[in-house]
Amino acid sequence: MSVAEDAAVAPGGAAERSLSYLPPDRSFALFTDHLARRSLRGTFGDLGEQDLRVARNWQPSAIRPWVLDLGEEVEGYGTFRFPYGPFSMGVPEAGTFEIVTYGERVLESRPGFGQKSRGILGSLPGLSPEDAALRVERLAGPYSAAHASAFLFAAESAAGIPLPAQEAHVRAVAQELQRVYNHLHVVARLAEAASQNVGQAQTHALAEEVLRLGGRHFGHRWLFGALLPRGPLRRLDAPERSELTRSLSAIGSRFEALWELFQGSRTFVDRLQGTGRVTRSQAVAWGAVGPVLRATGVAWDDRLRDPAPPYRDLFLPLARQTEGDALARALVRVEEIRSSLLLLEQLLDRWPGGGTIDPLPPVSPQRGLVRCEAPSGDLVWDVSVKEGKVREAGFRSPSQANWPLFALACRQSVFTDFHFTLESFGLAFAETDG
Amino acid sequence: MPSWIGQAFRRGILTSRFPRGPASPEEVPETSRPPVLSPTLDPAPALSRATEDCPTGAIDPEGLHHGRCIRCARCTRQGFAFGGRAHPCASRPEDLYSAGGGPLPEREANRALAALGRSLQLFLVDAGSCLACNLEVLALANPYYDASRLGITFVNSPHHADVLVVVGIPTEPLLEPLRRAYEALPGPKAVLAVGACALEGGIFRGNPRTRAPLSDTLPVDLFVPGCPPTPLDILEGVLTLAGRGRGIQEAPP
Ligand code: SF4
Ligand code: SF4
Repeated sequence: MSVAEDAAVAPGGAAERSLSYLPPDRSFALFTDHLARRSLRGTFGDLGEQDLRVARNWQPSAIRPWVLDLGEEVEGYGTFRFPYGPFSMGVPEAGTFEIVTYGERVLESRPGFGQKSRGILGSLPGLSPEDAALRVERLAGPYSAAHASAFLFAAESAAGIPLPAQEAHVRAVAQELQRVYNHLHVVARLAEAASQNVGQAQTHALAEEVLRLGGRHFGHRWLFGALLPRGPLRRLDAPERSELTRSLSAIGSRFEALWELFQGSRTFVDRLQGTGRVTRSQAVAWGAVGPVLRATGVAWDDRLRDPAPPYRDLFLPLARQTEGDALARALVRVEEIRSSLLLLEQLLDRWPGGGTIDPLPPVSPQRGLVRCEAPSGDLVWDVSVKEGKVREAGFRSPSQANWPLFALACRQSVFTDFHFTLESFGLAFAETDG
Repeated sequence: MPSWIGQAFRRGILTSRFPRGPASPEEVPETSRPPVLSPTLDPAPALSRATEDCPTGAIDPEGLHHGRCIRCARCTRQGFAFGGRAHPCASRPEDLYSAGGGPLPEREANRALAALGRSLQLFLVDAGSCLACNLEVLALANPYYDASRLGITFVNSPHHADVLVVVGIPTEPLLEPLRRAYEALPGPKAVLAVGACALEGGIFRGNPRTRAPLSDTLPVDLFVPGCPPTPLDILEGVLTLAGRGRGIQEAPP
């Protein structure tokens, strides 16, 4: 059910008028910039032409500027488009999709951007990194730790400020805790979509327990403010650390018991199998990141390939699947719940006594560029700092990278697959629009 | 043979004792309490120092506006502590202002819509949030809060809802959809604004891309402060709207 249900289906109709066009934020420009010059080329070797193709296609379409256009013709005789959103059934966030269909098959489902733009990037220049971080972590609440730590690492790299080793550990603990939460949340939402009522309730309960750990040990369920140098509420002294380790291992074993039941549920497995498939060549060509990429068999995880401290000293098994469908993405996430719990155990066990870590080398004077593996994939923050204030900042979030793949995965599906595909990608308009 | 039912039984009862009994400490994390100035301090100098530090303008030299506060803990260095009564909610934003920075007075005068009855259907709309508020609202359905035991359920269409729950700071493109969603609710209806963003804009207040406060766009019946408010805060807000709010008692630690 959509509030925009009465909007006309024809191009140029009420749907277009009801969404006023917002010029894309600088993140989009930065995104193409990174793709063309740095990110993808570094990731996959020489992709040359394909990089540029991704970069070109991400340009908002000239005709319907707010809708992602993959630049390929899917429409034909008898097809029509309708807007689904912005307050759509089962999607927890505001966002409009333009669905291209001829009745039963969904030919494409194109996300529309800009509706949720809160102008966060534009507000950062001139602020101190600490004030800016309060806004950055609110780009997307469930991914706040990844955004805050990538941003802070980049700002420190730009300003050449060394970091206490313990702070680096706190950042990693926060990120892994949030990864466990997000992956549990995705499993729970998939179970919800597959009508696994007991399973979804029990998994949501586990996710709630992870949030409560945040509340207990960081003072905030979503870890807002916890990573800032002056965030005074976190409690991670030795007894608290062993308590956290115990709680996490209890969560781990409860999750294993649940997952065993999920695996035995034909309804759950059948519903995910083959749904929303992304092929490996699509994933590489369009620059997929995170579980979406790893579910197609590509071994890429920033924590392994480009590790920021303290990840370089830790053991981390890589999660990988080959099928590229919603089930493969769910399996990658399940593996990563396990590996994050393992990382947390190591992080809490090997707590540094003191010392500092050198800042990451700047990419150019006063400009830091940091990549980190957020729960749904590779996140890039590019920050330049002058005289202690942010001069310019930009980011490329995993959601921005994965939207084209979402549109591809919806091709030739049926409408009931929509939620499985969306949930298994873990996309957020909040961190797309900025 | 493991089974879902067996699994659920083994976990036992998870559900909060709220509202019948006291809330457990896990349900009331430190930042879910509003900051209050230590009573031993002289308010004027402490407030003026904290005014400079507060990133949202919640603190001014006269007092503290809890609706603006994002619980960032900066002011804890100036003699404030997260010690206030958990879960204030208010029909008018002015009621969230505490002159002198002390605890908010108890208020009984929150507007309740008795006509809402005992069964409440909520429709969640996102005006431009970071998603944390959305997920805290939806957490009411998880076994820990199980709002359906109190007659509170989520519906998928505004046409079936009694309460419009709004999260996030309104962005320009979402203003019109927000109004239309509100119009789609059959009466009697109420609007619950959840989170600092929906109250006065939170950390994004004054950003030119946004159109805070929400109360300029929709007639808000009750404000629930916090960034994000905890599920218990939100539950208390919903119950208050229906005239069933009694405040949250906390179990002694
Ligand atoms: S906790 Fe609230 S009042 Fe204190 S500095 Fe932060 S926003 Fe201001
Ligand atoms: S009030 Fe805080 S948690 Fe809620 S949407 Fe705004 S920034 Fe996010």
